[in-house]
Amino acid sequence: MPQAEPATKNPDKGYVALLGWSLNAVEALDRFDRRYVVVAPDWAEEYCFEHDIPYVLWNFERLNDRSMEIAETLKREGVDVAIPLFEETVEWAGAINSVLLDNPRLFGQAMLLRDKALMKRRAQLGGIRVGIFEEAHDRGDVIRFLKRVNQTLLKLDGDPNDPIHLKAFDKAGSLGHRVIRTPDEIDSIPDDEFPVLMESHLDGWEFAVEAWIHQGKIKFLNISEYVRLGYSVFVPATPELERFRPQITAQIEKLIKTFDIEFGFVHPEYFVTSDGEMYFGEVAYRPPGFKVFELMERAYGFNAYQALALAFDPKTTEEEIEAFFPREVVDASGVAGCFGVYPRRRVVSDLQIPEDTEDDDYYESHDLSAPLEETVTKRTAFGTHWGLLYFFGDDPYRMREVLKKQEELDFYV
Amino acid sequence: MKRTADVTGEVTTLDKRVASLDDATQALAETRDFGKPAKLRRVLEALRRVLLQSGGAAAVQARAQTLEEAGVFQGTDWASPEILLPALVGPGLHAGEADTVVMEATSELRMLAVARGDFAHPTMSAEDARQFLSQVLAMNLELLFTPPSEAERVRQGRTAQLIRDLFRHLADEIGYDTVLDKLVDEIWRVLRQRPIQVEQMRSLITRISIYRGDPDVDLGSASGQGIDRLITSLFGTTEASRDDPGVDVFRSRLEAMDTGGVQSEATGFARAMHDTGLVSPYHAELLRYLVNESDYLLGEALGLSETGRNCLLRYRDLVHRLIEEAVHPSTAQCVYGLALLLDRGILHEPPVVPALWRQLALELAPAARERLLLVFGDQPSPEARLTAGALSMLGQPLGVGQGDNPTCQSARALSMWAYNDPDYLLQMVVWAARDDEIIMHFEGQPISSRESEGGVATTLPMDLDPVSLLVVPHLDRIYAEMGRRCAGRPGDPHRWVNPEFHGWWAFRGFRINVDVQTGNLIDLDEFLRQFHASYHPAYNGGQPLIHPQPAGVAVTDSAARYVGWHAITILRAAPDPQDVMRVYFFNPNNDSGQDWGDGVVVSTAGNGERFGEASLPFDQFASRLYIFHADPLEHGRSEEVPAEDIERIVGYIERSWGADRLPAGMLQASRNPEA
Repeated sequence: MPQAEPATKNPDKGYVALLGWSLNAVEALDRFDRRYVVVAPDWAEEYCFEHDIPYVLWNFERLNDRSMEIAETLKREGVDVAIPLFEETVEWAGAINSVLLDNPRLFGQAMLLRDKALMKRRAQLGGIRVGIFEEAHDRGDVIRFLKRVNQTLLKLDGDPNDPIHLKAFDKAGSLGHRVIRTPDEIDSIPDDEFPVLMESHLDGWEFAVEAWIHQGKIKFLNISEYVRLGYSVFVPATPELERFRPQITAQIEKLIKTFDIEFGFVHPEYFVTSDGEMYFGEVAYRPPGFKVFELMERAYGFNAYQALALAFDPKTTEEEIEAFFPREVVDASGVAGCFGVYPRRRVVSDLQIPEDTEDDDYYESHDLSAPLEETVTKRTAFGTHWGLLYFFGDDPYRMREVLKKQEELDFYV
Repeated sequence: MKRTADVTGEVTTLDKRVASLDDATQALAETRDFGKPAKLRRVLEALRRVLLQSGGAAAVQARAQTLEEAGVFQGTDWASPEILLPALVGPGLHAGEADTVVMEATSELRMLAVARGDFAHPTMSAEDARQFLSQVLAMNLELLFTPPSEAERVRQGRTAQLIRDLFRHLADEIGYDTVLDKLVDEIWRVLRQRPIQVEQMRSLITRISIYRGDPDVDLGSASGQGIDRLITSLFGTTEASRDDPGVDVFRSRLEAMDTGGVQSEATGFARAMHDTGLVSPYHAELLRYLVNESDYLLGEALGLSETGRNCLLRYRDLVHRLIEEAVHPSTAQCVYGLALLLDRGILHEPPVVPALWRQLALELAPAARERLLLVFGDQPSPEARLTAGALSMLGQPLGVGQGDNPTCQSARALSMWAYNDPDYLLQMVVWAARDDEIIMHFEGQPISSRESEGGVATTLPMDLDPVSLLVVPHLDRIYAEMGRRCAGRPGDPHRWVNPEFHGWWAFRGFRINVDVQTGNLIDLDEFLRQFHASYHPAYNGGQPLIHPQPAGVAVTDSAARYVGWHAITILRAAPDPQDVMRVYFFNPNNDSGQDWGDGVVVSTAGNGERFGEASLPFDQFASRLYIFHADPLEHGRSEEVPAEDIERIVGYIERSWGADRLPAGMLQASRNPEA
């Protein structure tokens, strides 16, 4: 059997620590030339032991006085750098890397990247365009903000409000993301979701960027096109969006400078308005959700987790990283997309891939599982999908249509 | 963007799907074992999409080695092709879960690659692979000939067509000639067990005969040894039916025949029937004709022994009425039951004859009538269907099958009564058919099948013979209710349920070697010694078993892994023609010939079995036994059983279902107080 053994490790290359448990990340590093160790809570221990995966136990709670412990453990172990895999481990990576790389500023940087309100202020200071935003501590703050934003937009009483967006300060992606249009919707927000960040709605085209950074320079920049936020995304984007690549690259460079990022990986979200103006949404210093890494591997053939290790590893050379990445867009063998399935009916009993989908040339596979319960819980916030459908094809416009079409289909009946 | 189309010009859907499969397989191969499960889904979906395309099976076959080496089968039974069972392929392919179907189909194509010599497999030889596939094809031959049924379509959607395309590909590659040989062997093997329900066999034989008649089909040489006998037992059995002329023409030929001609028709049909256990529709018509002609020829046509002939003559009015009522071309199979019923001599038991007269006059409850109509149609009437079913069951008590239902206890009870207590069986039929209610008593308390909620089977069984069809749902509910009334009692409920459910003659003494609480083995040594003392002629004073006894076995698969508990009947223990002591038993499963692993292969013919009996050497049988009943007043000589015999049996247990049921110091475990 191929790959029954881990890949040979190069002792001259860096030794990386993966913060948090991600099977795909571990699997990718396992067959890469860098030494690695998984830092994860105790529930991962048995699995790692059983499969011979290098492992250090750590429960990522809030940073506290014991936080130095893990940094020192990793330092003794000879680890060169820590890579955050999840939003919750970003500040840990900052704290640990400030010790490993002897650079205290890294911790402050991580805190900026972790708090959406601080992040927006910093972006604003750096001359990056952002929408209107504010923190809310209770429902009263939300009502005031909703009113004020709509006043600013010169809306009259009775005009439909422009929505505002509510996001948790420190959660990934669409977790806890709500859209509020009317004051009565505010009542449905549970107390424990406060404080939140409120933002005005930007009526642009939203997209995400994945950028790998080495020595302060962008080494690979991917643009992920959303068909519908929270539902579908594909890689690489349509020429329609790719034509903004020069402006987007300039924005990312500005971001790198503003946040003083020397190495690693950023995953920001932007809006581009009809007149070509870019608005910064937010930025994360960790892999994106929605299996975008997997889509990139399908489209470009390189493993995005291995790319992560390269971009973080201080021992990576310029030539090495240049050779690793393909050329953006032109080197893609096709377009890879995925669609998150939410049941549309209230009562479901079977998983059934519609023939329309199944017969589509672009459709490849899905990871949906059969329903365990018949009643579908009503979604409040964006919620979590029940699994993804994967597509692959030649034409990004066709991909966009295909993904769009899935929104009207029932997968659970 | 690099487009594949630029390189190859025309890109077909199959090409695209195969490219996607290759990409997915590559990703799986590159992943170390622990990461494989996350990458398997995409491979399976890609496989399914390739298999749905014409030419897909060949494409997968060509990639069989790559797929296996990438780890598609890893962590499943399919990873060890040498332990796979041809009999399980059908259920796998008909699974509702699409991934299971795809795995199974891919495994077949791998076998094909091995059989063709394209894939030198480390644990499977080309010859074994070929043999395996021949058996798979033989057992699933209907996939070659018939379109998906409505039920398959609903459950599997387009996958139903996928498996047909797969089978056509397999047969094209393996060749039909070997298939036919295996198929015929298989049909003979099952028929030798003389099942009551032979519909499936009949339709297979019919299809083969049509297939053989197709001038486009080349069956190769020397194929289908024995197929002629099967075909002629249904069609063209005799001179007058040779050209399959239809019942009316046949009848007019009979009417024009002299006695010598009819005599030869009668013996011809009788021989075919007793040879195969199959009855031709023409045979039924012959009987209907002979009722008014000659009792002598009737006896000839039934192929009766002296006993049977004696019964026929002694109770000729009854037999005539039974034939007129129940024997029709569409119920021809009951002729065999009637012949064996007469040969068994049970008409000489006082209650049986009047009970059969009652059966002939029976009025069916609307529910019973509806059920019979639903399953068997209205030709002949439901009453005739039921009587025909009763004849079959009384003539072939060991031919009862449970169908595809978890109702082994009920099927076993019917078989026991037909074997041992025929008038009681007829009484049950009356209660179920006329009253749509059976009341049995459990420890003095009546239990009504109507008032009892829910049996073991969650849906009403449909694939049964007429008697089972009506009676089993009632028995199943009563059986389950008896079990519920034992809830809270310590130990296994069969101790109380079995004797109350089956009859006074089921022994009240009860032995079990599994601790119900923990599932661990207990009292193994004592259990096995007592089993010898009760059933083995060398230790029970040479006493043959008088009444059939309910028993429970731990069924294991061909790799000797535990599958589940199963109800069987112990019929007798006796030396076989090679002087090996064997236990002969009845298994309500539709096919008793099963491989239980570790060399324990249940035999159904060739070791002294009577029709319908299964058998194992005494020690092998004991090694799968977990419950038996014994007469507490008969002691036997348990202490004389040699220790090495016990050890050998324990060895079989340890290597199979007992492997993970052995607590520390097992043989010293506390003795069962019920002893």
